[in-house]
Amino acid sequence: MPRYAMVIDLQRCVGCGACSIACRNENNVPEGIYWSNKITETVGTFPNVRYHYIPTLCNHCEYAPCVRGCPTQAMHKLDNGITMHDPKKCIGCKYCEFNCPYGVIYFNWKAPHQFWRNKNSLLKGGTASPREEVKKVGAKKTPYENPERGATLPANRSKGVVEKCTFCDHRVKKGLLPRCAEACPANARVFGDIKDPNSDVSKLLGKFRPFRLREQIGTNPHIFYIRGFNPAQYKQTKGGI
Amino acid sequence: MSAKKGLFSIWMAILGIIILIGLFTTYKLFTTGHVLFNTNDVVIWSLPLGVYIYLALASSGLTILAALPLVFGIGKYEPFAKRLVFLAIATLCGAFVSIGLELGNVFHMIYIMFSPNLSSPIWWMGAIYGLELIVLIVKFGLMHKGDWHSGFSKALATASFILALVAPLMIGSVFGITESRVTYFGPVMSIYCLLMAFMSGTALFLFYSLIVNKLNGNGVPTELYDEFALIFTYATAVVVGFTLLKFAIESATVVPEFLAYHQFEHAFGAIRGLHTEVLLGLFLPFVLLLFPAVRKSVGGKIAASALILTGTLFMHMEILLAGQSHPVGPKAEQYPEFINYFPSIWEFLVFLFALGIMLLLYSLGERFLNLTEAPE
Repeated sequence: MPRYAMVIDLQRCVGCGACSIACRNENNVPEGIYWSNKITETVGTFPNVRYHYIPTLCNHCEYAPCVRGCPTQAMHKLDNGITMHDPKKCIGCKYCEFNCPYGVIYFNWKAPHQFWRNKNSLLKGGTASPREEVKKVGAKKTPYENPERGATLPANRSKGVVEKCTFCDHRVKKGLLPRCAEACPANARVFGDIKDPNSDVSKLLGKFRPFRLREQIGTNPHIFYIRGFNPAQYKQTKGGI
Repeated sequence: MSAKKGLFSIWMAILGIIILIGLFTTYKLFTTGHVLFNTNDVVIWSLPLGVYIYLALASSGLTILAALPLVFGIGKYEPFAKRLVFLAIATLCGAFVSIGLELGNVFHMIYIMFSPNLSSPIWWMGAIYGLELIVLIVKFGLMHKGDWHSGFSKALATASFILALVAPLMIGSVFGITESRVTYFGPVMSIYCLLMAFMSGTALFLFYSLIVNKLNGNGVPTELYDEFALIFTYATAVVVGFTLLKFAIESATVVPEFLAYHQFEHAFGAIRGLHTEVLLGLFLPFVLLLFPAVRKSVGGKIAASALILTGTLFMHMEILLAGQSHPVGPKAEQYPEFINYFPSIWEFLVFLFALGIMLLLYSLGERFLNLTEAPE
């Protein structure tokens, strides 16, 4: 059985956000919820400043606090290392969200895709209401809904349960890459089996010294970051007093 | 007598209205969702959860107190035993109402039984409190039938005592194993919850019994209440000591999470750097209780226990909110650096519903179940 992991090459990542948009489309992620997200940081004092950008997603930790804390095993591990959620068992206690060290789990505080539930058209008799538009294309919640997401998880989660990245388990099952990796125009996301020494993931981890988020708390996250883009030059110096 | 009956009817009508409002709140939460709360993906747990912790711990405290006559055989406290057990049941029911309405999908609770996760402190907390409720109800039923001292009855009392000791530890561990929030992490929260349980349970019992005594007069010797007031003072002293120790450790450390935590920990204001709710809701009643004249007067006991009961709720809320006031990881991209929180009307209504259920049970029990009854 493989153990899936992802390497994110920060030298290649340009922060375009294509991963987040692709994820949103693939997984029917509602407004206000981010399976694929980012951490941005500005360091230094003007004019000596620098901007850092780290793409984030579920770390699919080996020792996942969300899995350990879930009272009903709604949050669980698959044999291939993916941290999976079963909304049918979720009681909405939000302990996984409270317990996640990486801030990648979100709660559906209201029924998702509210905009598309609206029955009012902008121009009565002239334009279709969002609800009518959804009906016309034969979808359930949104006109751009991806029904394939429904293979392993309800295509649209309901209010009162949490949701998060599943490494696109429905695609991986079919031998496809997670949508974020596929959509990345810079090939900054590399997905694969960390147990296979010949996988691209393993090769990259042998070539570059990776870092992981909040490694010190012992969750053994499986999102690895390598390199970092920095075109800056500076005059060689030994400093001074 | 008829005036009393009239007052009881008015009281029941008020509680009935509260319950109706609570049922409407339940309907709204089930249909609209928890967007009705002033919560978000940073402040995840709010007033209803704070109320749950508050009531569940008080219930454990009442059960521990009931163990004095029922487990340790201190016969002179037997006139209190039935009321203590009943109050523990009613308070726990209030706690369950509050957490039930905090959950996003209460109907999936069935999976607590069918798909248990034994590594989850929430599972253990739910299982232990669920079991404790059943044990207390059976124990109360036996006492009501006059079976106080049979082997089975004593075994139930012992079981409820053990469950009441473990349950607060589990509430504490829900927070205590959260690696992502260092300010909660560790066994301190469990010990704190156990101590708070005993103190708030004692406060609730004294406050309630003395008010009922004033209203009804039930012939329980007042010196027994003085003894309970002394137990209450000791319990408060232990919490004061533990709180000071906790403050000292938190103030001394330079762990970054604790330094950040200090920026958020004064949700209810501070007087010279000390939390208002701790000063007024813990230290002040403790100082009051040190005076024998206050401890022995009914008014003094009621005032001290009322201060503790109010302070305890605020202290739970303070701890709950301070650990959630800033976004974790990428959530800082969507939320401000610090989150303000004030409960929505719906959260207050959940609180009111939980109190309404609790008070309804108290009132019916007091009226129909002869709670000051003792064997022979």
